[in-house]
Amino acid sequence: MADTVQEFVFNLTFPFTRTLGSTLSTFSSALAQGQIIGVRTGGRVIAPPLEYDPDSAADSGTDWVRVGPKGTVSTWTWVPEPTNLHPLDHAFGFAFITLDGADTPMLHVVDAGSESAMAAGMRVEASFKAPADCVGRIDDIIAFVPAADPSPSEGAGEPFAAPEENDITEMDAYCDLTYVDNASPTTTMWAKALMEGRIIGQKCPQCERTIVGPRGMCSVCAIELDESHVIDVPDRGVVSNFTIVTPVQYHGQTETEPFVRCSILLDGANAVIAQQEILGITASEVRVGMHVECVWAPANERSVQDIDNRSRGSGGDAIIGWRLTGEPDEPAENYLNRMM
Amino acid sequence: MAPTENDIAIVGFAQTSPDRRTQLTEADLVLHATRAVIADTGLDKSEIGFTVSGSCDYLSGQAFSFVQNTDAYGMVPAINESHVEMDGAWALYEAYVRLLQGDIDVAMAVGVGKNSNSDPSTLYTIEFDPYYLTPLGTDTWSLAALQARALLDSGKATERDFADVVVRNRANAKSNPYAQIKGDYSADELLAADYVRNPLRRHDLPPTTDQAAAIILARGKRAYDFCERPAWITGIDHRIEAHLPTVRKDITTSVSTRLAAQGAGVGKGPIEVAEVHAPFSFQELIVAESLGLDASTEINPSGGALATHAVMVAGIIRMGEAANQIIKNGKNRTLAHSTSGPCLQQNLVCVMEGDQ
Repeated sequence: MADTVQEFVFNLTFPFTRTLGSTLSTFSSALAQGQIIGVRTGGRVIAPPLEYDPDSAADSGTDWVRVGPKGTVSTWTWVPEPTNLHPLDHAFGFAFITLDGADTPMLHVVDAGSESAMAAGMRVEASFKAPADCVGRIDDIIAFVPAADPSPSEGAGEPFAAPEENDITEMDAYCDLTYVDNASPTTTMWAKALMEGRIIGQKCPQCERTIVGPRGMCSVCAIELDESHVIDVPDRGVVSNFTIVTPVQYHGQTETEPFVRCSILLDGANAVIAQQEILGITASEVRVGMHVECVWAPANERSVQDIDNRSRGSGGDAIIGWRLTGEPDEPAENYLNRMM
Repeated sequence: MAPTENDIAIVGFAQTSPDRRTQLTEADLVLHATRAVIADTGLDKSEIGFTVSGSCDYLSGQAFSFVQNTDAYGMVPAINESHVEMDGAWALYEAYVRLLQGDIDVAMAVGVGKNSNSDPSTLYTIEFDPYYLTPLGTDTWSLAALQARALLDSGKATERDFADVVVRNRANAKSNPYAQIKGDYSADELLAADYVRNPLRRHDLPPTTDQAAAIILARGKRAYDFCERPAWITGIDHRIEAHLPTVRKDITTSVSTRLAAQGAGVGKGPIEVAEVHAPFSFQELIVAESLGLDASTEINPSGGALATHAVMVAGIIRMGEAANQIIKNGKNRTLAHSTSGPCLQQNLVCVMEGDQ
């Protein structure tokens, strides 16, 4: 069925702002000025610095040391086809680089032009972004490039005097991941039925509960349910629970006023469908026990494009919402304290 | 051996078909694996005193996916349940510790991963150090390749040794109905391929797999209710190294594997079969050396993680395969290993023995 989506592409983007703590703040503030530093702890210089000595878990302290900007590659690899998350858009190397003045390597990018230029022992030096573009993050260093002059870095190993207060105490950290999920057989059944203006459930042959929307299993008996267990469920029922949401304007939120979301126990079903919208009344008028019926979108306007495996039980754009039937309420106590 | 009430055994193991791309959800996969292991052991689900799963929200791209997965357990009345954001091997470890408390007799450990929804070359960037590695797009293949290059430069192995590991595992996988990548290959033909991350070629990397697996553990004499020859866990240990691989002193060996092997008592007797969780070919060489195994131990008769590699499941499958060598194949002492984190950061070693 052309209207039923087979694959869903979605992005997860997390725009975090991480606090850095004193050690990383010192590193970041120095890096933004073009100075790479390490910390001397347990008799060795760790660069980039960590808050703790990984051998002893002791506080690394504040014995800062200037390192680099040149260093020596100890191990390397080559990325022939960079992804969107890699910092360079052409083939490059990753390497462990022990900066002059340091005892432990740092991992960074080597822009060497060709794989054949890479070797353990090669001398490289840091190439920074323009000062105005540096924000104190590790990718302020665009890449390490083969060192024009392999002689030791000037000033490496000397103490670094950190300022009383660091300029940079936070960093932007984001992840941007793309997923492609595919519709499970159960999701496809549910979506197809909605397009036909039907609400379906699956009836467990063991406990005889009818679960709406179908899950492909009885979550009480832990047995598999398939197409043979599908039954049509009336598109009318009773509000069994609700919540009034006061929207917080997070990224992507389109609601601005308090709104209600209900659980509805359809006639003959043993599990509610959740997150449903009630039409024609204000949020404060919604009560447990109200009789409601489904308001379908006209057949030619229905869409289930938004229904994926994560939103099973949602009506997508096939169901507009639910309206009161006008029948007298059922006693609320018959519907409260339901598990499902 | 006559078990004491503190002896704990693996008595059943089941896994789903390893698919490159399944249409099922993680909850569906969990249902299939747990139904199979419950049928295999003949127990009733009400006899399970503790259920614990290992999975990762980032794989399927759904927050709290493990909560939806619990639908597959049938939680009416409510059950005693836990979850680790780790391979199911660590769920098994938690189940083992839970059984040691002595108030329940049967536990179930599960691993599940629908890996095909995401791209392994980008997904694992968020697993690493968020300050020094993630902003560079540092990926798991590159980190493994850095470790592989260090191993080559140390003189301990060659690229042909890497290919030989692949040839042997793929040949072993031919007799494993749950192997995804199998067949007869020669090292020469493998070595003719291009690098994905020098010095690693596609065959040195793990496949992408959607799968679930489940294991039943039982305590003391109860084990015999489910299994004629239980795989008694005689030692289990888990060690962790620094998260940032650059501060480890030598990434061509695995200190945490060596310590976990000592803790689990690997050296107390011969190991007939070892199921090693090495997602990258060369890591099998590092792990085998760090475990202290010699040529008398058969490594990965199942084809290992190079044949099938659902992240969050490949480790618990090693547990099940090593147990089945005792339960079904007459072996007396076997080993299972699982790893997690960049460049073999964490390692879990489990030794099992059968009644003699």
